[in-house]
Amino acid sequence: MADKPKVAITWLGGCGGCDETVVDMNEVLLRVANAVELVFWPIALDFKYHHIEPMRDGEIALSIINGNVRNSEQEEVAKLLRKKSQLVLAFGACACFGGTPGMANFRTKDDIFNWVYRDAPTVVNPKGNYPQPKSQVDGKELTLPKFYEQVFALNQVINVDYYLPGCPPPPYLVMNAISAVLDNKLPPKGSTLSPHRALCDTCPRNKTKPSRIALKDIKRIHEVEADPDSCFLTQGIICLGPATRTGCGESCISINIPCRGCFGPVEGVVDSGAKFVSALASIIDAEDDEEMKKVIDKIDDPAGYFYRFSLPVSLLRKKRF
Amino acid sequence: MGSYEPKLVCFSCKFGWGYLNDEDALAKQIKNWVPIICSGKVDSSHILNAFRQGADGVLILGCRGGDCHYQDGNYEAKKRVYLLHKILESYGIEKERLRIELSIDPEGSRIPQLVKEMSDRIAKLGPVKKIGERAKTAAVV
Repeated sequence: MADKPKVAITWLGGCGGCDETVVDMNEVLLRVANAVELVFWPIALDFKYHHIEPMRDGEIALSIINGNVRNSEQEEVAKLLRKKSQLVLAFGACACFGGTPGMANFRTKDDIFNWVYRDAPTVVNPKGNYPQPKSQVDGKELTLPKFYEQVFALNQVINVDYYLPGCPPPPYLVMNAISAVLDNKLPPKGSTLSPHRALCDTCPRNKTKPSRIALKDIKRIHEVEADPDSCFLTQGIICLGPATRTGCGESCISINIPCRGCFGPVEGVVDSGAKFVSALASIIDAEDDEEMKKVIDKIDDPAGYFYRFSLPVSLLRKKRF
Repeated sequence: MGSYEPKLVCFSCKFGWGYLNDEDALAKQIKNWVPIICSGKVDSSHILNAFRQGADGVLILGCRGGDCHYQDGNYEAKKRVYLLHKILESYGIEKERLRIELSIDPEGSRIPQLVKEMSDRIAKLGPVKKIGERAKTAAVV
């Protein structure tokens, strides 16, 4: 019992989907639970931060952290687990790249607070209360974590040893990752525990792609009835496959939804959005400037589309105000 | 503020710009000049990286329409720039800070002039705004 490696799982700025994917390992999870000692898992087990605090540095063999860092509590927990753990695995798109919540980096903190606590049509807030890190109630001081100006990926706050992207990561990659830790067969630190190639390389629709794609029109997936077998890009539907790492099992493609990029950049690429800009621009077919503008202007919110999961780790990180 | 000089990066295609002139001599007149082979070689990440590293503007000089040595590299660059304008604006970087000019100048004497013109326009915009709180990597071990 005492020799079992200790494992902590936690969620920071995430939706819980990553924890769900751990549960989705089903019976395998029971085997894992026999092989390790779970010392922390807020969504499933009743451990508190003060159970972790007295541990020795490095006492936890592996911390699996999902979600990004947006407030001071998340930063504190990330740093605590880093200190107590030999290995930290950034789990899921939010931990690896900031994820969908990372798109908040196109807004200011004030924009977000004003909408959530004042302007949204469903808000009733006659006193205009906004959350404060400290407030006095009946002579007592109440505290809340500080909400930061921007979203951070996990490796912008602590050192991360391994990355497992996806929204959420598919169970087979989770099992591979956990077995690699248990069997001590891990790749070099800093590796992403997923195939290195682009999604197009493994996409079943790739063979339907002509040698040269030439788009005269760009459509959104809900505007057309997409052919379920042919390459989305040849149909004029934006698919981030060329600039996204594979490993997801083509789960979106197989239900006729184009890739949205949750596996982040392929190996060796920093900014997947920039790579996609280059890829997409090259398949737009226009006779003149007017036509070029017409085709490109039809893309609704290109930055939001191309950086849906990776804005905080993109080269430019956030909007300047 | 009066002495503000924008940091400009200029990529120019060697097939159309300054190939008759001595590259070292031209380089003395143009700060942050990157002669390249084909404007189509300038990837979006090179451009975004220039802004990341503190550039206030990026100027790309490619060959005249239809004159690309590699068939259509200049045309590819042009589409890329137009799409990047939209991306840059989402990041709060004015689109005027990225410009592409397709023309020809074997002597390269217009390069310093075009850089100066763009520099003057950008000087009116001022430097690219900074990102706020702990914006650069906050890596704390």
